Amino acid sequence: MFEAGGLPRAALTLQLGGYAGCVGAHWWNLQDAALPCSSEAQGQGLCPDVLHRAGRSPSGQETYTPRLILMDLKGGREPTGSRTVAVPGQDALGNLNTLPQEGCLYGDPKRDTSVAWQGNLITHQEDPPTRNLFLQDLSKLQGCLSSEGDLGPRAHALSKDGSPLPTQLHVSQKGRPLEGSVQVWSDYLRVRLHPRSTCMIRQYNYDGESCQLEAFGQGESLLHDPTYQEELEDRLHFYVEECDYLQGFQILCDLDNGFSGVGAKVTELLHDEYSGRGILTWGLTPVIQNTEVSGKDFYRLMNTVLGIVHLSSHSSLFCPLSLSGSLGLRPEAPVTLPYAHYEASLNYHSSAILATALDTLSVPYRLQSSPISMAQLADAFNVSGRKVVTAGAALPFPMAHDQSLPDALCNYQLAVPWALLSSCGEPKDSCCFGQAVVLRGIGKEKQSCNCPPGSQPKSALHACGTGEEVLECYLHAQFPETFSTSYLLQEPCKVSTPYPQFFSALLNTQGFLLDNPPRCSTALESIPVLTAVQSSPVLYSALCRLYKELQRVNLRRCASYFSAGVELSDFQEALHELRTLAQCYETSSVLGESEDEDSD
Amino acid sequence: MQIQHPTASLIAKVATAQDDITGDGTTSNVLIIGELLKQADLYISEGLHPRIVTEGFEAAKEKALEVLEKVKVTKEMDRETLVDVARTSLRTKVHAELADILTEAVVDAVLAIKKPNEPIDLYMVEIMEMKHKSETETALIKGLVLDHGARHPDMKKRVEDAYILTCNVSLEYEKTEVSSGFFYKNAEEREKLVKAERKFIEDRVNKIIDLKKRVCGDSDKGFIVINQKGIDPFSLDALAKEGIVALRRAKRRNMERLTLACGGIAMNSVDDLTPDCLGHAGLVYEYVLGEEKFTFVEKCDNPRSVTLLIRGPNKHTLTQIKDAVRDGLRAVKNAIEDGCVVAGAGALEVAIADALVKHKPNVKGRAQFGVQAFADALLIIPKVLAQNSGYDPQETLVKIQTEYSESGQLIGVDLNTGEPMMAAAAGVWDNYNVKKQLLHSCTVIASNILLVDEIMRAGMSSLKG
Repeated sequence: MFEAGGLPRAALTLQLGGYAGCVGAHWWNLQDAALPCSSEAQGQGLCPDVLHRAGRSPSGQETYTPRLILMDLKGGREPTGSRTVAVPGQDALGNLNTLPQEGCLYGDPKRDTSVAWQGNLITHQEDPPTRNLFLQDLSKLQGCLSSEGDLGPRAHALSKDGSPLPTQLHVSQKGRPLEGSVQVWSDYLRVRLHPRSTCMIRQYNYDGESCQLEAFGQGESLLHDPTYQEELEDRLHFYVEECDYLQGFQILCDLDNGFSGVGAKVTELLHDEYSGRGILTWGLTPVIQNTEVSGKDFYRLMNTVLGIVHLSSHSSLFCPLSLSGSLGLRPEAPVTLPYAHYEASLNYHSSAILATALDTLSVPYRLQSSPISMAQLADAFNVSGRKVVTAGAALPFPMAHDQSLPDALCNYQLAVPWALLSSCGEPKDSCCFGQAVVLRGIGKEKQSCNCPPGSQPKSALHACGTGEEVLECYLHAQFPETFSTSYLLQEPCKVSTPYPQFFSALLNTQGFLLDNPPRCSTALESIPVLTAVQSSPVLYSALCRLYKELQRVNLRRCASYFSAGVELSDFQEALHELRTLAQCYETSSVLGESEDEDSD
Repeated sequence: MQIQHPTASLIAKVATAQDDITGDGTTSNVLIIGELLKQADLYISEGLHPRIVTEGFEAAKEKALEVLEKVKVTKEMDRETLVDVARTSLRTKVHAELADILTEAVVDAVLAIKKPNEPIDLYMVEIMEMKHKSETETALIKGLVLDHGARHPDMKKRVEDAYILTCNVSLEYEKTEVSSGFFYKNAEEREKLVKAERKFIEDRVNKIIDLKKRVCGDSDKGFIVINQKGIDPFSLDALAKEGIVALRRAKRRNMERLTLACGGIAMNSVDDLTPDCLGHAGLVYEYVLGEEKFTFVEKCDNPRSVTLLIRGPNKHTLTQIKDAVRDGLRAVKNAIEDGCVVAGAGALEVAIADALVKHKPNVKGRAQFGVQAFADALLIIPKVLAQNSGYDPQETLVKIQTEYSESGQLIGVDLNTGEPMMAAAAGVWDNYNVKKQLLHSCTVIASNILLVDEIMRAGMSSLKG
């Protein structure tokens, strides 16, 4: 009875920045779609309580919302100057656009409008921003649901009696791609948030030439401001206090803009205040596409590097996530995924891929019967200061519809099936210091080869009895000297609307490969996904590359960057730390190569 | 603030600085700088060099400060005066009914935390929001309000005459780094480790229970544990069985306030617990509002930290009151620290303007125009006061000036009638240091802006904004 394993080990999510918002929105949607519809899946699989909290709105309605704090700027679409006096609680601006800051769940139906002012009252009301078709459908569905049974749609998820929402939406959305009507992340956020979730930074905004949050120092100083600091502490306190067992924090943070500074401060605060908890930080960068190097790119590079150094030092584990080929000044071609033809310029697409990867990467500490917590996961990687890890994903996991898992893995004897999503370039050899691999979406019957007893198995993989053994055996063959842990889940990743439909036509509804494209294309419902978190030597060259690039930058040209709070000496120190960090990943095989690079 | 025009952003920065230093006078700042520039423009367009105008400004400022020193009223800062000062500040920010409630609250708050011969630390006034009822329910709690409650169903919701133990000790089972790892060798080993660690926590809980038994004995006194770290369900259960109410994860900033409010010492370990470490409160109760819980720690013997509980029907009202309360607290603090106040309602400005006009002949040359401009500019304050209350600014101004020169007393605008009134008699007092800061910063910035020939914008300006 002493064990905490029976109770969900809660984790708090923080989303810092616009792109983090995009990834987060997709991630919550994925989790929402995967909420168990019945109690049959109890005891195994993912536990939604790790990342969600149950609550009660003032009107007594039960709610089930993400345990989330998100920070974002205003601006993004509308000119803010035209704003008149909005109805309190309804001011929807910026990236939130149509999303009310307080969320709509906890709105008091009979809002107390009595005013203590005795004079005349004039009410100015701004028209709410237009919603796209998806949101209109969503609110229509929610409207009719809540009027029917006096229950919000989220109440269904809570009572686990099956949510009618996904299927109905899916039908109404088929063949109506959202790409055109999506501008900000709240345009495709399906879940509803708790009023304590959204924290808007009013000092800066997205558009306009002034007041952009574009330097690390600005972000850092933002949290020196007692108003934001107290607000953050209050929100953290609200979520943390109610958790019986808090396993840690997962932070999604933009790396390319000033939010890397916000993230650095936030992780520092968490590190000081909640020692012993895991802090998993995912540094996100959208796909970089410009061809010419401009001043903005220097800023981006410096933000990224300062972010990597500070975030990794205060977090238990730090993982850069991006579809960009490189985080350096000169962009490289974005990562290509064989069966997902995404549009690299659309954040809506690229963030969906990262969110799917995240949903699977985070499986180890989200399991119902979780043997490990975030802190333990981090500890396993943290050997000799290796706090940075890389992430890789095969999305979807390439497996033909009639194949079994051993068959599918046999095709990847030479190279691993996943592509790296950490902007580190291609690994030269498949050696790494440690890894946690998750494969999901493979049904029980496909996990092992059902060859008749007595016949000679085709390979060692085919000889294994269970899917877990197959995966373990495969990893052992690929990475003989690496400490690997692997997880196998039957539940796939459910990709229902508003998930972009960018998958190859060769996939069937469950995301398995077909030989020929089907005559009538059917919408994809779910995909199997394979991901890996690795502490890999490829980081040595990647971090060194950033270090060298920054050394070449003439820092005097970026005087304005240093006027925003970061001292030049601090920056030099950070550069030095980056080098130290890189050296943690040095292996004998890359030693010779690095000397070559130094000499030129 | 999002301001692109460089001049405007300069003025906005002065207002911010004014707020940082004195906590009040931001609007006056913007008004006076604007008016100084407007008055100067009259002369400059007639050919007067801006440099001469600024010389006049400088001379006028010196004189104005002299007048300020002369008319300031040094008196004992009793509650009545402080209430007057706070009211003057708050009535400009929220409507009268609410302002009067807040006035009393902020003055009592500051008086409670004030220690003789020590600077006042406003940080010791906790401001707590509650989205509930109407704004006029805002009140001062002589104690502390925490925005969380006990997390065990068996713990009492209301405890009277209670000992308070504030501590920063983890009472929750965490897997430490030593025992963590991907796998344990076998199940028994794991079980053993878990038990050993669990025992460690249990010992701590037992020490607290021992202390409770020692101090409470058979009496019906209550015992409250307020912990900055976590308390897990097993520990909560053990504490609840002994009739102890335990709150976990108190905010760091409340720990210091707690010991100030209830007495006692915040403990970092349970090894050396003595009854001396305990604080005391007359009443502790929980208040549930939707899914939020509040714990009131009240009736403390000699609270050195108090809480202003702000209530309001919506977020907007709460923010508005919070800002007003902050300003009110600052005003009271300023008054106590200055030891003097000056007459408000535009009376000071009228007096200074009058003195400047008289002083003008003593200034050499064309700089006299600068002095005149300064004098005229200051009159914007009574003018705006009159205008905002719906009277004719010029008519009111003339009335006040006449009254002032006839009586020689400090005369301000009565906002209810639009007639002149004796500011001091009506109890309209402003902070001395706010006015002083205003005179300084407005002159400097207006002079600076006047001396700028041309503004060029280049490069990435946003970082400097």
